[in-house]
Amino acid sequence: MYPPPPTLPRAALNAGAAASAPPAPKSSRGPMIRACLLPPAQAIPALRALLLLALVLGASLAGSLARAEESADLRAAIAALAKGSFAETEKRIAALAALGDARAVPALEALAGGDLYRREADGAVFIARSAGGGYRLTEPLSLQDVGTAGRREVKKIRVNNRLRRTIRAALGALTLSASDPARRLAAAKAILKTRDGEAVEALDQALARETDPQVAAVMQAARAAAVLASDRSAEEKSAAIDLLAARGDREAMAIVASIATAGDAPLAAQAKAAVARMERSQALWDVARNIWYGLSLGSVLLLAAIGLAITFGVMGVINMAHGEMVMLGAYTAFMVQGLFGALAPGLIDYALVVALPAAFLVTGLVGIAIERGVIRFLHARPLETLLATWGVSLILQQGVRTLFGPTNREVGSPSFMSGAFELGQLTITYNRLWILVFSLTLFAALIAAMRKTRFGLTIRAVTQNRRMAASMGIRTPLVDALTFGLGSGIAGIAGVALSQIDNVSPNLGQSYIIDSFMVVVFGGVGNLWGTLLGAMSLGIANKFLEPFAGAVLAKILVLVFLILFIQKRPRGLFALKGRAVEA
Amino acid sequence: MTRRFFTHGMTRGSWVFLALLAAAGVLVPALNLGLPAGHPLHMPTYAVTLSGKYLTYALLALALDLVWGYCGILSLGHAAFFALGGYAMGMYLMRQIGPRGVYGDPLLPDFMVFLDWQELPWYWLGFDAFPVALAMALVVPGLLAFVFGWFAFRARVGGVYLSIITQAMTYALLLAFFRNDMGFGGNNGLTDFKEILGFDLQSDATRAGLFAASALALGLAFVLCVAITSSRLGKVLVAVRDAESRTRFLGYRVEHYKLFVWTVSAMMAGLAGALYVPQVGIINPGEFAPANSIEAVIWVAIGGRGTLVGPVLGAGLVNFAKSWFTAALPELWLFALGALFIAVTLFLPKGLVGSLPRLWANATSARSKAPPDARTKAPAAAE
Amino acid sequence: MPHHAPPTMPGQPDPHRHDTLLYLDGVSVAFDGFQALNNLSMVVARTEMRAVIGPNGAGKTTMMDVITGKTRPDSGTLRFGETIDLTRHDEADIAGFGIGRKFQKPTVFESHTVEDNLALALKGRRGPFAALFHVTGDDERQRIDDLLSLIRLAHLRAAPAGGLSHGQKQWLEIGMLLAQDPQLLLIDEPAAGMTDAETAATAELLRDIARTHSVVVVEHDMAFVRALDVKVTVLHEGSVLAEGSLDHVSANRKVIDVYLGR
Repeated sequence: MYPPPPTLPRAALNAGAAASAPPAPKSSRGPMIRACLLPPAQAIPALRALLLLALVLGASLAGSLARAEESADLRAAIAALAKGSFAETEKRIAALAALGDARAVPALEALAGGDLYRREADGAVFIARSAGGGYRLTEPLSLQDVGTAGRREVKKIRVNNRLRRTIRAALGALTLSASDPARRLAAAKAILKTRDGEAVEALDQALARETDPQVAAVMQAARAAAVLASDRSAEEKSAAIDLLAARGDREAMAIVASIATAGDAPLAAQAKAAVARMERSQALWDVARNIWYGLSLGSVLLLAAIGLAITFGVMGVINMAHGEMVMLGAYTAFMVQGLFGALAPGLIDYALVVALPAAFLVTGLVGIAIERGVIRFLHARPLETLLATWGVSLILQQGVRTLFGPTNREVGSPSFMSGAFELGQLTITYNRLWILVFSLTLFAALIAAMRKTRFGLTIRAVTQNRRMAASMGIRTPLVDALTFGLGSGIAGIAGVALSQIDNVSPNLGQSYIIDSFMVVVFGGVGNLWGTLLGAMSLGIANKFLEPFAGAVLAKILVLVFLILFIQKRPRGLFALKGRAVEA
Repeated sequence: MTRRFFTHGMTRGSWVFLALLAAAGVLVPALNLGLPAGHPLHMPTYAVTLSGKYLTYALLALALDLVWGYCGILSLGHAAFFALGGYAMGMYLMRQIGPRGVYGDPLLPDFMVFLDWQELPWYWLGFDAFPVALAMALVVPGLLAFVFGWFAFRARVGGVYLSIITQAMTYALLLAFFRNDMGFGGNNGLTDFKEILGFDLQSDATRAGLFAASALALGLAFVLCVAITSSRLGKVLVAVRDAESRTRFLGYRVEHYKLFVWTVSAMMAGLAGALYVPQVGIINPGEFAPANSIEAVIWVAIGGRGTLVGPVLGAGLVNFAKSWFTAALPELWLFALGALFIAVTLFLPKGLVGSLPRLWANATSARSKAPPDARTKAPAAAE
Repeated sequence: MPHHAPPTMPGQPDPHRHDTLLYLDGVSVAFDGFQALNNLSMVVARTEMRAVIGPNGAGKTTMMDVITGKTRPDSGTLRFGETIDLTRHDEADIAGFGIGRKFQKPTVFESHTVEDNLALALKGRRGPFAALFHVTGDDERQRIDDLLSLIRLAHLRAAPAGGLSHGQKQWLEIGMLLAQDPQLLLIDEPAAGMTDAETAATAELLRDIARTHSVVVVEHDMAFVRALDVKVTVLHEGSVLAEGSLDHVSANRKVIDVYLGR
């Protein structure tokens, strides 16, 4: 028997797990080509932080020439951090923050992280990272690389926990005035988390300048949180509670709830009422969130099952290699992206668009080959077909493993699929949204093809009465092959989409095969609409179970439910009944 | 009466098979224990254990043949019954470790101590007694099969639908046994066994004994299968396989027959699992993998379904090939296995043993007109 | 056994006759909007033979499905004997009550021998454990021998049934029906695929059976129906169109319309 595949349950659950993690972990990563150029894993976070800083400060650097004389002050203030006792340093950090110049941020962050060093020779201060036997130095203002230094030439500027807190506060105030709105947003959110009572004034100043409404809203909330933590008047606090209650998210609720238990009597009562209100709206948002995640999971199930709805549902062929068609589609996406990376890196965002027809062709042809080579000889022997196609799936898996290796391949996301937006209290990631839209589009196209085109009519004719269709001049073997090719091709297209949210590995297909069969059977064999409804309702059911049962148990419960359901209604939700099916 | 029940269906081929099995059950341990290591006929212990493992696979194949070959029920979940039997035995072996575990807890297996559990879960009670564990290795798979079959067969779920839900069943169990809080060791399963019935599991004598026990179990199960399939009940099973609704209209309650043979088969698979675990020294959730069940199906298919002897040979052949490939050409094994699936279904639908009579007939009377061969009709064609 | 009963109006069966064996009243079945049986009513007496004819899709096979428990009716009454409500039982129960059925396509157990086919059909205990420990007795052997000679397959008793000709399979299936010793036999197109001589012999066999059993025969072959010489029920679109002797129904205007097309 097989060695126990340790990745199996994880891979199998991937669809579910990925859907429940709101910020998609993959979307932040660059395309595979860029990923390959990055240095080893442990250096990546640090390097990425620097890159980010460089980007953030890029705009302010451009204008910094005009402020050359200010830079001198700033540089002096930074250099001053290197001298004196902890108490003195604390004062100097405050002084640096008082300058209100966001360019001090990298230096302060490096100081908090223990990466700020003083050169013994001239007392100059640098951000340093160990490289080889010594350090690589970065100028803290310009962020330019200024060469290396030996181990003994530089000395780390030490900080303690008290200083770190001071630095954090200073950073908060500084970043509130950063020119990049994302940076300001992050600063406001940080204050919302720490609930620093001292930050009220800084926030007031920042609010006066703020132009971005989204950032301003978070700053308002942060200010309210800060007010509640400060010793301001009861009226102000009461207004703050109202403001947070109106905001209504989990963070606001936690802040208000802390007042409800610890605050003064009248405030506590107000907070208690506010919490109750917020809990009610929170419950509604939870339902909305579960529905969204459920639809998201449902769209994955739909993608996985939609090709099978043709080959199994319409043709009645048990294709155990269906999952491998999905896998081949994902690998096609990987190949196409590799080609774009090599030939036209500028157009890499369009690689997926090209990968869709490519995958359709590749898997469609493989499907036709399977139908011609194996399945047609096993007509009306479903159990044998099941075994033979299982053999095909083993060969395809091993073939891909031999060609591409057993490890996961990464298919990057185009820029329009990265990121997320907020809808009320829902965080909706673009890749999930795209996949939902894409799966529904694919479904609609398939329905249209089956209903409106001559090919669709021919398929239906052959599946309903093969002999009659043949006698009317339809070449049934050709239709069989093309129909199977269509189902396989659609599985390949689904594979391209799934490459965006799942690991592309030779085992990719295995994790979908049981789910896809379950969806098709649950929806009702031969009924495309049933497949849609089956996928979506199973997705949503799974996500509503997860909060109570956990991801794995939810999955098990859904499987058990399906097993029982099929026994109650062996022909699925929307079964055609009649003599023909019984025969 | 009882004796007649067990022997009336035995053919000459069956007796030959039993004799060979008995000879192996005696000879293999003798060649291992009786001859010194340098002797040309000495059988190394790893070979004894490997052959013992094949015998337990053969028992699983026999169980599968009973339901698929004779009743047309293609189970893609028999590995679940096998693994459940294995876990029952594994729990016994776990409790035999006693205070010799890494953490030295007299009662709790290591993984429970690691998970900071304070007491033994109720379903681990009694597993320190071998008879209880052995009974559970039969009862638990049997009970699961009974409940599952009760619903499935009454609802007349058949054909590929049944195959798919048996696969879903073993998949659900796979996911469940991966969970640490199930209390079966999660991902790692149960391992580090020390002894069985007081005998050291590492010793040659114990290994030889386990081999002999496996041979005995396979022999007994074979006799039982012959008795079942040659009885009136066996004929009803074949009738169900070939024309299910005809059988119903004759007044047979088909679901009861299916349930009976399904449950018996699951218990045999459980016994196979219970014999497998002490020989390989580990049981983990990977044994529930749907791929395992399907691989067992190919043993039956290549040997010849509905022949009892065939699946036993098939299990041996395929696993021998697998051992050889995974050592010599590991990348090629899945290609070979995949090709085997395709080749057997396309070119050898009756399997090796099932095709023998015709090969024999062709050889002896090449010129005479072949009679219409009723048995060429594959069971699945009736669906 | 000529049966020149006066023509009765369809839809008005008399449930109070003591010799009523099968009683259908207002039985309807629909498949996805298609009305397979539409308010069907029919009565079959003990030891009566009835021929049921009708064009394709008239509901003949569905009627048999309903009587034998394969299909549940949406509405209507179905009684067997005085007391048994057939709608509450499944195929195995109904077979046990004494209703045997022969399929349109001859269905025998192809990998079993002719003898085993009959042995499986023999009246007896049907439970799995009874079957497991069953030992064939002398009386059973005798009964099988009788049946084999009746259906003229004694020389093929050890041959696998899958190797029989189409007509032989039809006869074997009728033999299996008789082995069940039912009170009512439902026979779907027994003459299909038979030579003329075989057809005549089959008609004779059925008349013979009807001396002691009730028989309902569905048939397309009018010559065969004429040879049976029994009361005929014409089905059309799931209900009874006409009932009476073959001559009587052949003269019926509606029947002519249905068969010749409007």
